[in-house]
Amino acid sequence: MKSLAPIIRTVLTILLALLVGGIIMQLSGKDALNAYGVLLNSAFGNPRAIANTLLTATPLIFTGLATLIAFRAGIFNVGVEGSLYVGAFAAAWVGFTFTGLPALPLIGLCFSAGALVGGLWGLIPGYLKARLRVDEIVTTIMLNYVAILFTDYLVTGPFFVPGMANAMSAQVAEQAQLPRLVERSQLNASFILALVSVIVVAWLLRRTTLGYEVKTIGSNPLFARWMGMPVARTILLVMFISGLLGGLAGAGQVLGVHYRFVSGFSRGLGFDGIVVALLGRNSPLGALLAALFLGALRNGSSTMEMFTQIPRDLIDIVIALVIFFVAVEISFGWLKRRTIAAATPEAEQKGQADGLA
Amino acid sequence: MSFLELRGIRKTYPGVLANDDISLHVEAGEIHGLVGENGAGKSTLMKLLYGMEQPDAGEIRLNGKRVMIANPQDAIRLGIGMVHQHFQLVPSLTVAENIALGAEPRYGPFLNRFRLRRQVQALSEQFGLQVDPNALVSDLPVGLQQRVEILKMLYRNARLLILDEPSAVLTPQEVESLFGVLRRLVAGGCTAIFITHKLYEIMALCTRATVLRRGRVVGTVQTVDTTPSEIARLMVGHEVEAPVITEAPADGRRRPRLEVRNLQITSGSRRATQIDLTVFGGEILGIAGVEGNGQQELVEALIGVADGVSGEVLLDGESITRVPTRTRRERGLALIPEDRQTEGLSKAMAIWENLSAGDYYQQAQGLGVLPLGQMRAMAAGLLNRFDIRATDERVGVGTLSGGNAQKVVIARELMRDPSVLVAVQPTRGLDIGAAGFVQEQLLRLRGAGVGVLLISADLDELLALSDRIAVLFNGRIVAQFPRAAATREQIGLAMAGKTMSENIL
Ligand SMILES: Nc1ncnc2c1ncn2[C@@H]1O[C@H](COP(=O)(O)OP(=O)(O)OP(=O)(O)O)[C@@H](O)[C@H]1O
Ligand SMILES: [Mg+2]
Repeated sequence: MKSLAPIIRTVLTILLALLVGGIIMQLSGKDALNAYGVLLNSAFGNPRAIANTLLTATPLIFTGLATLIAFRAGIFNVGVEGSLYVGAFAAAWVGFTFTGLPALPLIGLCFSAGALVGGLWGLIPGYLKARLRVDEIVTTIMLNYVAILFTDYLVTGPFFVPGMANAMSAQVAEQAQLPRLVERSQLNASFILALVSVIVVAWLLRRTTLGYEVKTIGSNPLFARWMGMPVARTILLVMFISGLLGGLAGAGQVLGVHYRFVSGFSRGLGFDGIVVALLGRNSPLGALLAALFLGALRNGSSTMEMFTQIPRDLIDIVIALVIFFVAVEISFGWLKRRTIAAATPEAEQKGQADGLA
Repeated sequence: MSFLELRGIRKTYPGVLANDDISLHVEAGEIHGLVGENGAGKSTLMKLLYGMEQPDAGEIRLNGKRVMIANPQDAIRLGIGMVHQHFQLVPSLTVAENIALGAEPRYGPFLNRFRLRRQVQALSEQFGLQVDPNALVSDLPVGLQQRVEILKMLYRNARLLILDEPSAVLTPQEVESLFGVLRRLVAGGCTAIFITHKLYEIMALCTRATVLRRGRVVGTVQTVDTTPSEIARLMVGHEVEAPVITEAPADGRRRPRLEVRNLQITSGSRRATQIDLTVFGGEILGIAGVEGNGQQELVEALIGVADGVSGEVLLDGESITRVPTRTRRERGLALIPEDRQTEGLSKAMAIWENLSAGDYYQQAQGLGVLPLGQMRAMAAGLLNRFDIRATDERVGVGTLSGGNAQKVVIARELMRDPSVLVAVQPTRGLDIGAAGFVQEQLLRLRGAGVGVLLISADLDELLALSDRIAVLFNGRIVAQFPRAAATREQIGLAMAGKTMSENIL
């Protein structure tokens, strides 16, 4: 019962967002019911539609996990996007460099390279936070630009492929391209890796010393320090894992969808991870559901655009509304406390002091 | 007709019947004591009265009229004010700003500072609560902060004052002055409800007292007709024995277990301290002192979370000065910190998780997997052994009553059989039974050769338990007394900074 309440609240919030989105559609002269019908059909109507929804969800699962594990430790890592880029490039580089290797070792090596490089990228702001107490929000935002521009430089400079219209690397070896799971869809084996990652992260958080430390540091860092927990080490480890998951997201897109590194290909998949983590209330299973939901909206809207008069921008508005309402709903408890506090400062810390008085 | 009447009040939390059919009369102009064991439901009842929680059943009558109190604003409108045990002031604002917060006098959209200052001044003169309206709250000692809390209630015209364990954080002198203030307020027409675990305070201050046990009223007594031990018997349901203070073990077993040499902390804006002391095995060294004279700095340096420390700390003869906190704990240092809410517990986590915080990593099996079932079972055992009143070990520490939360800290720190225990105000907020239990534990540790450093503002506790008492003033140990030679007067003088070199050992 305790764990069900947030799910119900999230679902209600989403329904509210869909309702408001529908009103907006109606006001702009579209038939909202019809639009949602088409959307649903485009997202789940046939096996191929479902496969494409899962395909769209795959990188979001990774980046959602990457974001939430940091959130759990009280680290606001906005740098998953950067890890995704450097990880993607590393995977692509291995893929087009070691073309002599057989499929399995090569794919393993590609993913390992993506994970490792993404993780190391996450360690930079992690080190700055853990050792020098530099705020991670600023550093991770800045490092995103560095990663995007640096990988762009790599494919326009040292790894430039002549004769290509866009800035992109060479193609990865054929045996490094991930097997497809469904005909006529790009859905590929990286989706399965994403599911495995959900389980691993959930297990890590629930059952291990690291998960315990993450929870403690995230809920009361001062207490963690007084108990002698290795706070700095945990921050480093969490940032490494967060970056690693970002790197896996990038590697998955390269090996399963694009087959090469394309400059600027992500367009915010890393940031979407924040939405997924928020919507999934920082739980791995929640993030999976949130990623599937967002994947369905995105995939559905692009198909919808082809068959109806409704521009996908309207669905983007719905997505934005969902984020907005969820954010408001999550802050609501806090808001309520603030309003009481305005009249009686005593209540300000009631939430914190509850029961300990 | 009573001023305040509670009838059949009932309040349940998931799995807990916190208040059960409570009926209570408070007459106008009395100071009504409210006592009961930890978790008996005192704070819950007061939260209902102050509109922070809603009762499941029952009614509240003020002057015979039934009232609905949906939130604290309603309570304030009805003239009810509350001082919580943990002060809720904004440290960066001035006294006057804190007092008026949310109800400031204004010039249009602007704060009318001039009027505000005059109002606060008038108020503090009217009630004899001297405090500088322009001082920053962060600069005030606790006793004065509490005065600000009381003024805050009075500024909102409270006629019924609720004080939840107001004396727990005060020095004896401050308690005296609080009593004076309350007596004046009552003489001026206010009525007060006063919660405490110290029964002599009830005897000294209250006309009547109501005793709660496990959510129910077990009796209301006239303090003139009763004795503290009678109240204690009502509270727990059987006779209460004071802990037997045993003598320290023979000198032969005494060896230095904790040595602090020329310890200096000069970090940031904090007070520089310079401390030398030695705690022997089998003794309790009490540290007396007004709060804010270097106690926190000393504790932070001992446990290893302070920056800018020089000097030396030895544990059983080995230096731990540059050793991380975890290693210090592994070598046998245990700590009951002053502020359980921030330093001692993680409120958002379950009881069993809090109990495991010191040794979870030692229990880990391969791959860092934690034996959750085993850890919970161990926690359940500790709930039993330390008599922590909770539904089970999985509930959040944040839902525990103040005293039960404190017992979680104590259970965690004592279960490991430490070699040195640093205990800061270990019985703060505990009921007499639990406080006695903790004191017995301290004595048991002493008997087992542990070195105990007891830091407390409670002189009675220090005098009862300590073998030696050192006085901390302005970051220095200014005097040390063996228990036989220590008197309250001497210690009090030293606490106020009057050095008496002839008494230094
Ligand atoms: N928010 C809450 N959720 C669940 N249980 C709660 C909550 N607040 C209090 N309780 C439970 O209600 C009971 C009464 O708690 P309360 O805080 O009123 O005790 P108390 O008499 O003030 O004790 P203490 O002297 O230790 O402060 C306890 O068992 C406590 O665990
Ligand atoms: Mg209480």
